[in-house]
Amino acid sequence: MLEWSDTEALVQRTIREFVDKEIRPQVDALEHGELAPYEVLRKLFSSFGLDVAAREATEASIASQREREAAGAAAEATSDAGASTSSQEKPVKGGLFGPAGAGQEAMGLIAVTELCRVCPGLVAALGVSLGLAAGTVNARGTAAQRARWGAELATLDKIGAWAITEPDSGSDAFGGMQTTVRKQGDGYVLNGQKTFITNGPFADIVVVYAKLDDGTTDRRRRPVLTFVLDSGMPGFTQSRPLRKMGIHSSPTGELFFDDVYLEPERLLGSATAGAEGKDSARSNFATERVGVAAMALGIIEECLARCVDYANNRKLWGQPIADFQLVQLKLAKMEVARMNVQNLVYRVVETMRAERTSSLAEASAMKLYSSQAATEVALEAVQLFGGNGYMAEYRVEQLARDAKSLEIYAGSNEIQVTHIARGLLAN
Amino acid sequence: MTNIVVLVKQVPDTYSERKLAAGDNTLDREAADAVLDEINERAIEEALVIKEANEGEVTVVCVGPDRANDAIRKALSMGADKAVHVSDEALHGADILQTSKVLAKAVGTVEGVDLIIAGNEASDGRGGAVPAVLAELLGLPQLTHARKVTVEGGTVKVERETADEGITHLEASLPALISVNEKINEPRYPSFKGIMAAKKKPVEKLTAADLGLDGEVGLANAASTVLESAPKPPREAGQRVDDEGDGGVKVAEYLASQKLI
Ligand SMILES: Cc1cc2nc3c(=O)[nH]c(=O)nc-3n(C[C@H](O)[C@H](O)[C@H](O)COP(=O)(O)OP(=O)(O)OC[C@H]3O[C@@H](n4cnc5c(N)ncnc54)[C@H](O)[C@@H]3O)c2cc1C
Repeated sequence: MLEWSDTEALVQRTIREFVDKEIRPQVDALEHGELAPYEVLRKLFSSFGLDVAAREATEASIASQREREAAGAAAEATSDAGASTSSQEKPVKGGLFGPAGAGQEAMGLIAVTELCRVCPGLVAALGVSLGLAAGTVNARGTAAQRARWGAELATLDKIGAWAITEPDSGSDAFGGMQTTVRKQGDGYVLNGQKTFITNGPFADIVVVYAKLDDGTTDRRRRPVLTFVLDSGMPGFTQSRPLRKMGIHSSPTGELFFDDVYLEPERLLGSATAGAEGKDSARSNFATERVGVAAMALGIIEECLARCVDYANNRKLWGQPIADFQLVQLKLAKMEVARMNVQNLVYRVVETMRAERTSSLAEASAMKLYSSQAATEVALEAVQLFGGNGYMAEYRVEQLARDAKSLEIYAGSNEIQVTHIARGLLAN
Repeated sequence: MTNIVVLVKQVPDTYSERKLAAGDNTLDREAADAVLDEINERAIEEALVIKEANEGEVTVVCVGPDRANDAIRKALSMGADKAVHVSDEALHGADILQTSKVLAKAVGTVEGVDLIIAGNEASDGRGGAVPAVLAELLGLPQLTHARKVTVEGGTVKVERETADEGITHLEASLPALISVNEKINEPRYPSFKGIMAAKKKPVEKLTAADLGLDGEVGLANAASTVLESAPKPPREAGQRVDDEGDGGVKVAEYLASQKLI
């Protein structure tokens, strides 16, 4: 794959037009918390008919899941062999913008890149709500659970958060997890806290991972379960946004659980299969990491375009700074990074077209490289702009702060290294 | 049911530098990014709104080089049903009269047209005469510079807005031609579904010969000729008024001397 097809190029132009008209003029309001990201994202959805498409696709998929479940229950009733896991058989394979049909694999990635040229924070908020929260509910939920939470998440009518990280367990998410649930009657009682949760302060629906306190002594090995919470449940508190270095357009917060009673319908997947929650979380890692490549591409493209323009127009000693070879070196390195990351994004599309999924090691390699490339390019862009680069007006300082987040979340880059190595050394 | 033809034109993006070709003073189309003219997006939007209320079919008609195909695709992805694209090297340098003639013939290939919608003027040439000339050639009533349009049964009503006359109300029976101004509406973005669907919509490609206009069009046959062009002179420094307590009076005197107040 060498370039986008005509149709993909048209999608790219159309989204770029939307971004230029509806987002660029609003970046400051978004970054300073005067404008919630969700309104802009909903407008994006309705402008491109994505809300309607997502609603139709989710409703159809829930209906067919209902049929499978009914057939499975009937089979269970008539057969002694019984055990049917039909509800988990067919997770919906969703791109960021819902199930991707043939020829549409690239659309979500293109949108992510275009949005990231101007406002990576918006993409963090969108990606977590749609890719992680909606993605988990729609891949793991029963038809009833999906109808209750998944459908409205898929259309952005409701905003989702996805909570695994805790103050004392980030990279060591499963082992160190302190948030627990214990059985109470049919349901569970949840206690603990989460932090650095994207959309945490404002989410309507939150997917929470917690350890089952089943009395076994080795706490590190207790099973991890996945639950769906609604904002406003008794004992559930959402903090205000935390102050942070970048991606200000994406609110990040803490969640507190104080004896939150969870009815059994809030459990995603089965309570007996021990690895359930870990699988659920892990299956999101690859998707999330691959998405980072598309985000990085947007940051790199924007920085490069702005730098070329600035280098041509900024005159010193009577000549444009583009004449200086040290400036040319910066531009050349940015172009190399752009080509590499663009090729990774094409590779992701090719992988989807071949109906394969990227392995965790492969996705981790892409994440590691592209997040580093974006951070380096954006910092070099600040340098190329000189004092102007350090000023907010020229935008590259925002992209540099935003890019840095890509090296930390979706698994810190050190953790990516361990996952790449594990893939290499597995056999 | 209202069958509508929308005239669309691909123009150099107003954000890029626009210039005339050195050799023949025609538009240098390679020099700038080409886009669907924004006023045409509004024309399409209006057609789609009318179609959504009354049913019918929206056909876009475009005269322009091959790459105008991009503009046509965009119109189709917004929701137009099909397109007629007249593309011919022989049309290079066609003037307003010729373009209108070609458009008249091209519109003639579409069956059962009730309404033709155009933008009031393209952002490149800015002649603004094509809609009127075309209406004349087709013998249709022209309702130009519309900022509001309503179609009811067999009639179309518009609020016409011009700098000279302000707002006037026009009404005509269909078929008719209208041109719209930039206040008419906010055009929609093409939906993803629309973009995917646009690939399969029919685009009929025609040449001047197909329309029976061979040898009648192009720069050599144009009724008007551009003899010379010059870039806009750089802005001259303005007149400075030093405020020594009488700044307001001096500014007012200056404006009065320029007959601005
Ligand atoms: C903006 C933002 C948004 C986030 N959104 C979410 C969200 O929506 N949901 C969610 O659950 N989490 C979220 N996170 C949390 C994020 O996933 C964690 O911050 C990340 O996994 C790192 O965990 P930690 O912060 O606890 O760092 P730690 O795990 O404490 O790591 C500290 C340092 O040690 C290094 N390190 C750790 N283990 C190893 C090792 N084995 N070898 C070498 N070095 C190691 C790390 O790389 C890091 O440099 C978000 C974080 C940020 C910054």
